[in-house]
Amino acid sequence: MIRHIFTLLWNRRRANGLLILEIFLAYVVLFAVGTIGTSLWSNYRQPLGFRYDNVWEVDFSSGTQSKAERYVTFEQVLARLRTTPGVLAVAPTASNTPFSFNDSRTSIDDGALRDINYYFVGPELREVVGLKLTAGRWFDQRDATPGPHAPLVIDEQLQRALYPRGESAVGKLVPLNGQAKQRVIGVVSAYRTDGELKEVHASMFSPLMPADSATHEVRVLLVRVAPGSGAALEKRLADDIRRIGPGWTSTIRTLPEMHRSQIKVVITRPLLLSVMSVFLLINVALGLFGVLWLAISARRAELGVRRALGAPAGAISRLIVGETLALTTFGLVLGLLVAVQFPLLGVWGERTSVYLTAMALATGALYLLAIICALYPGRLAAGIQPAVALREE
Amino acid sequence: MQPTSTPVIRLANVEKVYQTKTIETVALSQVNLTINRGEFVSVMGPSGCGKSTLLSLMGLLDEPSSGTIEIDGRPVTSYSDKELAGLRNHKIGFVFQSYHLINDLSVRDNVELPLLYRPGVGGSERRRRALAALDKVGLNARTGHFPAQLSGGQRQRVAIARALAGAPEIILADEPTGNLDSVMGEEIMDLLLGLNREQGTTLVMVTHDEQQALKTQRLIRFFDGRQVA
Repeated sequence: MIRHIFTLLWNRRRANGLLILEIFLAYVVLFAVGTIGTSLWSNYRQPLGFRYDNVWEVDFSSGTQSKAERYVTFEQVLARLRTTPGVLAVAPTASNTPFSFNDSRTSIDDGALRDINYYFVGPELREVVGLKLTAGRWFDQRDATPGPHAPLVIDEQLQRALYPRGESAVGKLVPLNGQAKQRVIGVVSAYRTDGELKEVHASMFSPLMPADSATHEVRVLLVRVAPGSGAALEKRLADDIRRIGPGWTSTIRTLPEMHRSQIKVVITRPLLLSVMSVFLLINVALGLFGVLWLAISARRAELGVRRALGAPAGAISRLIVGETLALTTFGLVLGLLVAVQFPLLGVWGERTSVYLTAMALATGALYLLAIICALYPGRLAAGIQPAVALREE
Repeated sequence: MQPTSTPVIRLANVEKVYQTKTIETVALSQVNLTINRGEFVSVMGPSGCGKSTLLSLMGLLDEPSSGTIEIDGRPVTSYSDKELAGLRNHKIGFVFQSYHLINDLSVRDNVELPLLYRPGVGGSERRRRALAALDKVGLNARTGHFPAQLSGGQRQRVAIARALAGAPEIILADEPTGNLDSVMGEEIMDLLLGLNREQGTTLVMVTHDEQQALKTQRLIRFFDGRQVA
């Protein structure tokens, strides 16, 4: 029967050409959406590595002070914030804070490992965002004294990339591009400041000790506040900063707010694409349904003959569903030929497993759609009375 | 082969009424008819007298409004759709006035069609039997052609080959020469007579052609849904 169906469709290929083209296009779009969706889902399933609830970001603008004055003011601000009731911990950090759309990337080992997020952070960061240490230690006062090799904390992804055989990175020297080698003192699970939906990059941290603040011009603080803190504390922090630093202003945002904004930005394009693909799918479904409906009206005599020659009603229904599935297969094969180029040519730089999942999802979705569209016309075809259909001719 | 006295089709008190919301049309009324194994029976009558309805009922394509139909001595009134389909597939072959070939299938694929619905018959067996049937009707050189590439007479031969492919005991032919000129009509008639004579196939043929009807062993006449002779 399968051969019969394919023979029939092959002989009717001109009539079915447009529908096959439509299925092919739908497959390509579904594959694209599936790839993006699978990639987002795969990213989402990776641990974020930190907590952002009750964490605020304080961004300074330090006015017209000299660099030396700014350092003194900054130290005063830091001291004041640390003693403010409702503030649990304060960590100076470079501007690549969570969900801020800022990043600072580097590579190591002469570029063998690229796109590593590089964070300069105060030792308090671990407490502020709840970083999970999995090996070695985090920065502390020992790192305030410069040694032969600057201390470095890396995340597990970077550890795996550096030592694929599962060796621990702690104690090893890492050759940063253009800089002296640094010694790994600890490993954290992750610190995905780009958010849970963005591609997972490896991370590494260098300490921002009080003495460094003078040279590094720290302008951002991450502050862990007591649960339930709100506008009153925000106003107090802003007022204190203004009072301590003449001409200083600050912008305070909560990380949950920044997270929501970031998610909106990241999700907008895939969402639009998904809406478009839903419309395309509806279009394909209507096309399939309409063509099948018309085909059954046009093929009443043929179906009547099949019934007369011994086809039970179920076989007629299966014929219609089978033909629809075969038609879908023609479109899918063409679509798969396009889709398979993506992993082969590394078009979007995604992992092969993401492409394969997207191919499977797009294939499943189109077959499901084909079955849904064919079931009712199949039932109609099965209900054709052979005596009536043959008389109509 | 001579016809036997074994009934292969029997209609007892068969009535067929087509009913719409406003009109009730009696297509067949009180039909009692027996077709014996190996017989070649022709059915005649004016248009609308119920000949095609009779053939549909005999071919199990339709159900009677009342009365019973027996095939090989077994009443089929209570058979399920699947059982009726199986019976049609194994026992009955159809030949229609307008051939009813599937234009998108080759001659061979058209002839294979009844075997497609017969469980246990594989592709090579289907091919073998289709080619044998086409050989019988003299069309083995046209197996790869499509119906549109054939003349009317050739199409009707393909239809007969399709009916023969399943080796049915009964062939029901509804005006098989109705769309053909007299020469081709004669060819088809000779083919049907040969099938009956040489293979003992039971044939019931609806026709408007008195000359052809006279060549068959028995002539049944219908008028206004009733058997009159």
